[in-house]
Formats: sequence, C-alpha cells, structure tokens
Amino acid sequence: MMVSSSRKITLILGAELDKLVTLPLIWRAFAATFIVNLVLTAAFTSAGLQGTAGTQSILGTGLASMGYLQAGFIILGILATCSEYTGGQIRTTLTTVPWRGFQLSTKHLALAVVTIPMAFIIVASGVLYSFIMMRDTAAGFELDTMIKTLLGATGYITLTTLLSAAIGAVLRRTTPALVALLGYYFIVSPLSRDYLPSIKNYFPDTAGSYMYMPLSSEGINVLTPMQGTGILLLWTLLFITVAIVFYRERDA
Amino acid sequence: MRAFNAELSKLFSLPGMWLAYLIGAFAPPLFAALDSFAEKEDIIAGVSTRLSEVGYIGLGGGVQGIIILGVLAVSSEYLTESSESGGGNQITTSLTAVSSRLHFLLAKAGAVTVVSVLLAIVAVVTTVSATNLILGDYAPAFEASRLIGAVCYWTFTALLAFGITVLTKNGIIPLAVLMINSSVVTISFLLTKVTKLAFYLPDMAGLDMFMSPSGGFHTPLTGGFIMFAWVTVLFLVAAVVFHRRDIAS
Repeated sequence: MMVSSSRKITLILGAELDKLVTLPLIWRAFAATFIVNLVLTAAFTSAGLQGTAGTQSILGTGLASMGYLQAGFIILGILATCSEYTGGQIRTTLTTVPWRGFQLSTKHLALAVVTIPMAFIIVASGVLYSFIMMRDTAAGFELDTMIKTLLGATGYITLTTLLSAAIGAVLRRTTPALVALLGYYFIVSPLSRDYLPSIKNYFPDTAGSYMYMPLSSEGINVLTPMQGTGILLLWTLLFITVAIVFYRERDA
Repeated sequence: MRAFNAELSKLFSLPGMWLAYLIGAFAPPLFAALDSFAEKEDIIAGVSTRLSEVGYIGLGGGVQGIIILGVLAVSSEYLTESSESGGGNQITTSLTAVSSRLHFLLAKAGAVTVVSVLLAIVAVVTTVSATNLILGDYAPAFEASRLIGAVCYWTFTALLAFGITVLTKNGIIPLAVLMINSSVVTISFLLTKVTKLAFYLPDMAGLDMFMSPSGGFHTPLTGGFIMFAWVTVLFLVAAVVFHRRDIAS
C-alpha cells in the first residue's frame, strides 16, 4: 500500500502516542509525581513559612521541589523507550515501521507531546499551592516573571524527559538506565558542583536549571535562561542523535 | 542450606549485580577521596569543621550499590521473559524448587545479608585507605565502633530495599525512591526541618550509627535499633504478603 509521506508521519505519530498513552506505568508515574510534588511543596512551604516573613519568594518555594520532581519524568522517559524491549515488542514495531531513525524520532516527538502538558500542570500546581499558602507573608512578584519561570521549568522537564528517553534507547534495559540517570542527577552532579565549579555550568542539569531559576541574590545569573536552554537542548539533541545512530546500526 | 547456596549463586551470576558490586566497592573511596581533596587545605590549616565526617561521607553516600543489590535480588525474579522464550517468570521456577515460601524468602535475605556485609567490609577498607593516602597524618581517626555502624547501615539498607521490592515486585519504584533518598540532600533530611518525627525514619536513624559521633539526634546504638526495628517490621509485612499472594500476578 502506498501512503504519502505526510500521512505516514501522522500514522506513526498516532501509533507512538497510542503506545505511550496505553502504558499503565506512565499514568502511575504521572499520578505519583503529581502527589509527591504537592507533598514536597507543602513541606517546603511550611518550612518557608517558619522562616522570617516577607523574605521568601513564592516562585522559589513553589519550584524548590524541582530537583525531586525531575526524577518522575526521568522514569517516564526511560519507560517510554525501554518498554519496547520487554517481551519483544520492538520486533513488532520494526515490522510495521521499518524506518528506524524515523520511528525513534517520532517516538521522542510523541513523548514531548505527552510530557509538555503534564509537566506544566505539575509545575503550576506546586507554584499555585505555595502562592495560596504564602500570599500574605511573601514578597510580591510580577506576573510575567511567573509565566516565564513556569515555561522555563516546563521546558527543562520536557528536555530532561527526552534526554532520559534517548539514554533509555541506548541502554535498552530499564534498570541500568535508571541507575545511570538517577546516579548522575542525584549523586554525581551535586558532588561535581562542589568539586568542579569551573565546568559545571555546561552540564545538562546545571545549565538547564538556569531556565527556571529566579535571579540569584547577587542579582545576576551565570547563564541567561536562553543560554541554559541552548546548552540543554544541545545535550538532548546529542543524545537523541547517538540513540538514533545506535538504533540504526544494531540488532533489534 | 541448599536454597541459601542457590540464592548466593543467583546473586553472583546476575549481570546487573556487577554494577552493584562496582558501585559499592568503588564509589565510597571515590567520594571520600574527592571530599578529602576539597577539604585538605582546611584540615591542614586546622579550620575544618567537618573533619570527623570526611571519610565516612563516602560510606554514607556509597550505599547506592547496596540498594541496587537489595532491589535486583528480588526484582530479577519477577522479570517477564520475552514471549519468544515462553514468557516465564523466574519466581515460578524458584518456588517450584523451594516450595516453602518462608524458606525461600529467608534464604534470599540471608544471601543478601552475607553479600552486603562482605561488600561493606570491602568498602570500609578501600575508603579508609583512600582517605589515609590523601590526607596522610591529617586523616581522621577511624574508630572500630563507627566502622561497624557503617557496615550495619549498609546491611540494613540492603534489607530495606529487599523488603520494599518484595512488596512492589517491580524494581523501578524502590530503586528511584531509595536512590534519591540517599543522595546528597535527602528528602528525609528536609523533612526533619518540618517535624522532629522524621529523625525516626530509617535512613536518618541509621546515619546516626556512624555519621555524627557527637551531634546526632540519637545515640549510635538507639539509631541502630530504630533502623533494625524498621527492617524487622518491613520484613514481617513482606513475608506475610509474599506468603499469601499468587506467585507472579
């Protein structure tokens, strides 16, 4: 059957979206991330409220849980690509869609489509919670700063998810991918912040964190949000490219 | 005894386990070495406030390997094979061979305990030598009681990971929760800022066994008992649940 190539993209994207939406673990991961994020935000908010009034920023408190929040999305990205490899689903996929590079790129696209709204909802709910709890005590803020920060945080989470998906596609097994990514984001990176201060800004997570970080107390950040986005985007594209190269070269 | 040997052989033949052993044996000295380099000048100048933690911080953070060990020991049994090779679960085979579920669980927990004690001893030796090598005469005094506390902390953590994975049957959740919670700034530590009750969480109590000789919330002994109580309760719950449910569902 001949299908025009634009129709082909729609069909493959639809199939990839279908697979993502019907993975049971995906929804559990979303639900758990949402709940845990609210609990953590509540903890940070109540810790913030005990501090001196008028000095905390609502955005800072609402986004304080970002470091932990990204774990849920890392899991999500890994699940999206590694689930193909449990039980040989990958062979069915490649039988129906024999264009490998195309298929993997579409998978990342579908993942971004699912992640962006979810990330926005989860980030915004945290900020909203701390806004409701702290509006009497905290210093005021401007609306456009808040929108920029929320968009930055959503973008950061989406790119991190795509990066995790690419690494999942390279490693193909859930546990090693999970250990590698969690180990990097939660152990290696915080440590390297202390020991390698000169190059840390070019790591994907530190650079990415400037996408949503409020201005620091010195009044200026090392990187602007756009530079942070650029560096994280480069890392993500690099890993996706590596994943596609591997995917095309090796046995399914 | 044969079930125990079988479990040991499983622990040594799983490819993922080698990741656990590598991290468990090499991450703590690496941590400790990096920290020693960073603190060296302060320590020599005599202004370091963290001298008593320098080597031990590696043992606190290097517990990652042991978490992987505890989780994989259980979750590998539940991996579904591909439909081309029958779609089976290893747990079905294991329970056919060792039909008493309690024996199976005890043998597995025993094997995990033995391996984690050994791994912890290796980690202690490498960490102490790495710290001594870098700091020379300035290295902190390593007391036997604190080192034994570290070994206990590792073993209990492995058993906690083991118990949680028996309950969830899937490695992703316990691995994520425990790895994040033993990272540099832990969730439990943040919770201690909110409520004093968080000091009774297993990891906070367990760290008191060796991390803070003078300023801990609990004494090392109480900390150890609290963590041990968590492990016991969790293991009992896991045993009951494991005893009552269908094998693979």
